[in-house]
Amino acid sequence: MILVISTCRYELSEGEFVRPIVEIVKGCGFDCTVRRYYERMDGEYSGVIICGTALRDFDYLNHVDNFRWLVNYDGKVLGICAGYQILAMIYSNTLERIKKIGVYNVRIVRENPLIEKDEIRSYFLHSYALRRVNESLEPLALQDDEICMFKVRGREFYGVCFHPEVLNGEIISNFLYL
Amino acid sequence: MFGRQFKRLSGDGMRVCVLYSGGKDSNLALLKAYEVFEVACLVTIKPRSEESCLFHYPNTELVKLQAESLDLPLIIDTCSDDEESSLKALYNVLSKAKELHEVEGVVTGAIRSTYQATRFQRVCDDLELWCFNPLWLRDEVSILNEALNYGFEIIFTRIAGYPLRKTMLGKRLTREIVRIFCEMRRYLNPAGEGGEYETLVLDMPLFKKKLIITDYEIVGGDYDATLLVKRAELVGK
Repeated sequence: MILVISTCRYELSEGEFVRPIVEIVKGCGFDCTVRRYYERMDGEYSGVIICGTALRDFDYLNHVDNFRWLVNYDGKVLGICAGYQILAMIYSNTLERIKKIGVYNVRIVRENPLIEKDEIRSYFLHSYALRRVNESLEPLALQDDEICMFKVRGREFYGVCFHPEVLNGEIISNFLYL
Repeated sequence: MFGRQFKRLSGDGMRVCVLYSGGKDSNLALLKAYEVFEVACLVTIKPRSEESCLFHYPNTELVKLQAESLDLPLIIDTCSDDEESSLKALYNVLSKAKELHEVEGVVTGAIRSTYQATRFQRVCDDLELWCFNPLWLRDEVSILNEALNYGFEIIFTRIAGYPLRKTMLGKRLTREIVRIFCEMRRYLNPAGEGGEYETLVLDMPLFKKKLIITDYEIVGGDYDATLLVKRAELVGK
């Protein structure tokens, strides 16, 4: 069972940011359950996906403490956009104001199981991201000087600041099959 | 939505406008917005021709009738087919919606075009407006079926390319046509996202009256043709 976490303040955003993830998860043959960012998330899950949300939506940042249980979680985690930000924050990294809207080239800088190519085109929609990371995170891909994919060292936790569900669905399916 | 009932969220009373062309996608997006937000007005942009890079080519007079049937204010602007003019017109109509109707967000019927979505998102961001795309990445056939499930009455107003033919113009979208589109997926986008066809909604659950076309003309060739409505009116449902 995969736990899919919505970071959307408004229900209308969930059709845009959560439903596509749920469809990919189910399309890969996995069951999933959806919880909202402020709800209790206890249960037995083989993996967790934290979805993104609208560009002007920051309410999830008021609920980062609700995600600290992940630090002791043994499974795999994929944080997308808002989820990338949440993972970065619970590992004490500082987000910078970087607004990026549209399709950009992404350069893969470290071999990883989520994407096998050296360069991909990806759809971005965010206001905050990372330019620097502390020793707990390992950069996997760059867009310009922005660290757009990272892995938490020693864990199967990945952060992706673009939206792989739009142009890079294989990142999500590769994560599910880890 | 995802197999369980979500409770209604606080703050759902946001005032929004809907980017409206009068076709199936913008009407379905409108219906979804109406379920959770306060829809304050419709905004429509009329490009010079079907060649527009960003917008469908609506029949403005029909959109006015649809807005009347919906009992919603309508803000219209025109633009050339190039990107700069389109973006300027989009900025203008959304500015007016914000100023006149105090909207905080915009709802669009964008499905899969990152070109379109990127530009909508950027203009909304410039105006500090929320942007909602409830049909984003939806399976195209499921969109057609959902519209039919809601009782939408949809006709084809333009076809552009084989295997769609001029004889489809004015015909209603039916389950059988959805089935055929599904089988032709290799050759055309079932939702017409590639400009293969355009539609007009004559009736949907929010319309207080339905639209009927009383005079029309079909222009163009066998595989690239448009239905031009000369006269239409609203009648009781």
